[in-house]
Amino acid sequence: MNRRELLKQIALVTGAVVVGGDFFITGCKQTGKSEAGFTPSTIGLLDEVGETIIPATTTPGAKAAKIGEFMKVMVTDCYTEKQEVAFTNGLVSLEEACETMHGKRFLECDATERKAFLLSLEKEAKEFNQKRDEDDKLKKENHQQANDKLAWKDQTEFEGNPSHYYTMMKQLTLLGFFSSETGMTETLRYAAVPGRYDGAVPYTKGEKAWA
Amino acid sequence: MNLNIDAQEQNTYDAIVIGSGISGGWAAKELTEKGLKVLMLERGRNIEHIKDYTTATKEAWEFPHRGGRTQQMINDYPVLKRDYPLNETVLDLWVKDKECPYTEVKRFDWFRGYHVGGRSLTWGRQSYRFNKWDFEANAREGIAVDWPIRYEDMAPWYSYAEKFAGIQGSKEGLDVLPDGDFMPAMELNCAEKEVKKRMEAHYKGKRHLMIGRSANLTQPHNNRTNCQYRNRCWRGCPFGGYFSTQSATLPAAMKTGNLTLRPFSIVTQILYDKDKKKATGVQILDAETNQTYEFKSKIVFLCASALNSTWVLMNSATDVWADGLGSSSGELGHNVMDHHFRVGAGGTVEGFSDKYEYGRRPTGIYIPRFRNVYDDKRDYLRGFGYQGGAGRGRVSEVAEMMIGAELKEALSVPKDDWSFSITAFGEMLPYHENKIALDKNVKDKWGLPVLSFDVEIKENEKKMRIDMMNDAKEMLEASGLKDVNTYDRGYAVGMGIHEMGTARMGRDPKTSVLNKHNQVWDAPNIFVTDGACMTSASCVNPSLTYMAMTARAADYAVNELKKQNL
Repeated sequence: MNRRELLKQIALVTGAVVVGGDFFITGCKQTGKSEAGFTPSTIGLLDEVGETIIPATTTPGAKAAKIGEFMKVMVTDCYTEKQEVAFTNGLVSLEEACETMHGKRFLECDATERKAFLLSLEKEAKEFNQKRDEDDKLKKENHQQANDKLAWKDQTEFEGNPSHYYTMMKQLTLLGFFSSETGMTETLRYAAVPGRYDGAVPYTKGEKAWA
Repeated sequence: MNLNIDAQEQNTYDAIVIGSGISGGWAAKELTEKGLKVLMLERGRNIEHIKDYTTATKEAWEFPHRGGRTQQMINDYPVLKRDYPLNETVLDLWVKDKECPYTEVKRFDWFRGYHVGGRSLTWGRQSYRFNKWDFEANAREGIAVDWPIRYEDMAPWYSYAEKFAGIQGSKEGLDVLPDGDFMPAMELNCAEKEVKKRMEAHYKGKRHLMIGRSANLTQPHNNRTNCQYRNRCWRGCPFGGYFSTQSATLPAAMKTGNLTLRPFSIVTQILYDKDKKKATGVQILDAETNQTYEFKSKIVFLCASALNSTWVLMNSATDVWADGLGSSSGELGHNVMDHHFRVGAGGTVEGFSDKYEYGRRPTGIYIPRFRNVYDDKRDYLRGFGYQGGAGRGRVSEVAEMMIGAELKEALSVPKDDWSFSITAFGEMLPYHENKIALDKNVKDKWGLPVLSFDVEIKENEKKMRIDMMNDAKEMLEASGLKDVNTYDRGYAVGMGIHEMGTARMGRDPKTSVLNKHNQVWDAPNIFVTDGACMTSASCVNPSLTYMAMTARAADYAVNELKKQNL
């Protein structure tokens, strides 16, 4: 599975275009910006959020794939300003929402509580993204109409509102995990140098997919 | 490697080759093997085979952004960002856009590789012969001018190029896509075999599906190892498993002891003697030191990539012709072509859930042209072929509200069914008004004028695109695929990275820039053998034709030199 297919898989699973995916071409972030939103403790929090989405089972999970650190790098380097702000604000919102639901911080919750909480965010994110899509639809059409009147050089890429922060976290967890060494070689199967091609290998249901 | 650093000491050669990509590499190989002392000039840096393929053995997890693009990259590469070439895995094999700007009257996506090997390192490796109709169509339909050569002129040189480059493919016995001298073909997978069977049965042998013919070795060849099925060709292959300048033509040329390679050498003009009506050599700008040098030679092979070869001509002999060498025809810079694509269809192949793939095959399938051939007639000219393939992706549809071990499990296995998709590549006609010109108001990093683009697709291509989509859907449905979806992702000229034309071959110096041996009419010791020479585009990938064309012209050039005709 190549990167493009992985992005497609993640988009389908999360119901939203992958933030920072290959074909997002707007560049509007100033370079050399800070990593202010990411402290060791937020990375620890993101590790646990990732681990709740993709936990260790018979194979290691997202935490073993250093998912918190990966999210920091991706959000800092690949997200637009708007997306980064949404993500870092999301770190605060996440703790507040967890407090509301369980009366304690995410890291203080046990595995069952964490999962129940993220499922509640999943529901919230779905509604949030749907509403965003509806709002953006009209804006996008207006943007397109305005573009059509301009010379191609003056046309601009439409940048919609960011997805829900949880959607971003889930997308980064899936992207980071399934392209990590443990994800590719332990949860999936990987042959660095296959040496030959066989287009009709017997397959028994349940066998791991090739990375 | 024989690098010519001390340029003052030796500045005279038998031949100068400008450019080191697919065409330049072939020119250097052929001319040195025939005994000529050759100087190959490359505007960019050197890249040594294997040693300089910095990402060839990197795994996905070794890239900090896992092969994606950062905001910094998007800012730095305003052209490259328009499509897939901008990514973390091969960033150093594309030109730095901001150092080498160009002007777009209309949008033109120009994806360039300025380094030894050029785009022979990053090419898609699809290798097809033009057919006999491709060389006749302009004359038959009254489009542009007639090619001065026919398929028969090219056939032996196609064979010659295929045998050296190593092209894998299957022999099909079709007029529309002539067979070549192939290495054993890579295998179709089980889903592709089934689609082939059903499609060929449905269309009663009038449409065909075969393995994509590609410059990937299936047997060891000339000290190169056969393909290891990593499917990472574009990062450079440490096994030499695919054809590139570095893996194939450059070592052959070096072996003769007759080649001097000079990187960082931007050719600013071909020096022209107006009394003898011949080139005497070239002037270069050293890209690192900004020093100017001159080199002399009996012949020049101009292989700087289609549009840059024309740029060199436009900047040469301007004291004789204001618009440059070869402009006396009024066609220099005109008739820009590419292949238009990004339209097709995909669907699901059921019935192979007990089969899977091993290895990553670096080519797909090919469906050769069937429109406007034999008795088929459409409301547009020419046609298109399809590239694509079948694969079994991982599960991407999961129940709502699923996270945790369940989700991990669900996403770690292949889908039940295989998916199959095809993308059409269509021929673009040569239009005189589709042109490039010098824009002297804009300068590159070295103060040189840049190219301005005024190119678009027209009605013929737009009509063709409708068929390109509808035919894909119809064929896949007729072949029993389920959930067939069509798409048109939009196309800007240049995205095909198959730039052609601007110094076309022809039969008449009044309407063409080059003659039937790729010689500039106004300077017969200059040979242009890259995409610039193309009189029409066919719908098949052009690189194999450049290889054959270059070998053919080199053979002619050396014979003429021996006869003292040049």
